[in-house]
Amino acid sequence: MPQASHEHHKPKGIQLTTDWWAVSTALALALLVRIGFIRKIPW
Amino acid sequence: MAEGILPLPQVDAARPVHRLIKLIPGILLLAAIGYLGKFIEQSISARAKADHLHIPNIEYVLWAILIGLAVSNTVGIPAVFQPGVATYEFWLKAGIVLLGSRFLLGDVVKLGGLSLTLVLLELAVAFFLMTLLGRWFKLKPKLTSLLAVGSAVCGVSAIIATKGAIDADDEDSSYAIAAILAIGAISLFTFPLIGHWLHLSDRAFGLWAGLAVDNTAEATAAGALYSDAAAKIAVLAKTTRNAMIGFVVLGYAIYWASRGQARAVGNKAAFLWQKFPKFVLGFLLLSVLATAAVFNQEQLGSLANLSRWAFLLTFAGVGLRTNIRELKAQGLRPFAVGAIAETSIALVTLAMVLIAAKAFNL
Repeated sequence: MPQASHEHHKPKGIQLTTDWWAVSTALALALLVRIGFIRKIPW
Repeated sequence: MAEGILPLPQVDAARPVHRLIKLIPGILLLAAIGYLGKFIEQSISARAKADHLHIPNIEYVLWAILIGLAVSNTVGIPAVFQPGVATYEFWLKAGIVLLGSRFLLGDVVKLGGLSLTLVLLELAVAFFLMTLLGRWFKLKPKLTSLLAVGSAVCGVSAIIATKGAIDADDEDSSYAIAAILAIGAISLFTFPLIGHWLHLSDRAFGLWAGLAVDNTAEATAAGALYSDAAAKIAVLAKTTRNAMIGFVVLGYAIYWASRGQARAVGNKAAFLWQKFPKFVLGFLLLSVLATAAVFNQEQLGSLANLSRWAFLLTFAGVGLRTNIRELKAQGLRPFAVGAIAETSIALVTLAMVLIAAKAFNL
């Protein structure tokens, strides 16, 4: 069988850390919005 | 759920800046493709308005995915972009956490409770069907387990978590991942068409997409292709499904260990915590903060838009990581089993959603 090229899918115990990175970043952004450092994000 | 794994957290402690710099080209590529999709949607819409034409609006989501697909299946993704492109899962999770601010805790409890009930039913149907089909098609038992987890819970990351827990082969997990990715890509395009055909409400469609589309990125994209409101509900339903991952993997780990074909699970609570998707906690925390009126209306609008930008990068990544030739090369049998089971799951969950929509006036 051809080796799947989903190298980035291989388990290396990183997922949990990815979650914490995402949570920390989102919370940091929320804090910056809350304190007014980031104002009105357009879409 | 969707679920590539990022190089980002593997930052080398000695040279973190160097590793982060390597992510920049790929992140810029995600942003460029996503923004191009948004630009095309807006241009077509403005042109149609100016010329008084009635053209159906094609969401930026679809454009971003199609452009990503075109790039990855023609020129491919040069190595310099690959680390950054793999961050699409990070953007997905960050986007989901930020979206938590759009839910009052009462809604989360109400819709999450309904989702949870439907998720439990969906899990039972998915396991039953997949196990039955795996036997009929004479798939290897561990491959069947992986496909069952992939279709029942949350796609690729569930398969990866289960693979480690039941000591399955690399080959089996590659098959299962390919099948689930291919089916996810097909669902992404077919679900909105069926939803419009059945005139499903945003809530009903979102619930259906969250229950039946496997990867979180695809479920979110399917919801966003329908409407913003549908995307919100799809994310909530899918997040509820993701939260079940630990229990399902634990069940399989115990089953295979009892047959002497996997390591025994020691501390079950620690196992559950280890497998629990932590971004769900971030989503709940922002929902709690929004419910406690920590943010004003303008700030809530900004957080929702930040979430949209994060999803924009994710949708570009969905297209870029789907390589049709590789999916084809994985063989037909696991795909056939996956497709038959997924179609059945989609129909059963659709029936459940239609009943729930009537009962709860969704």
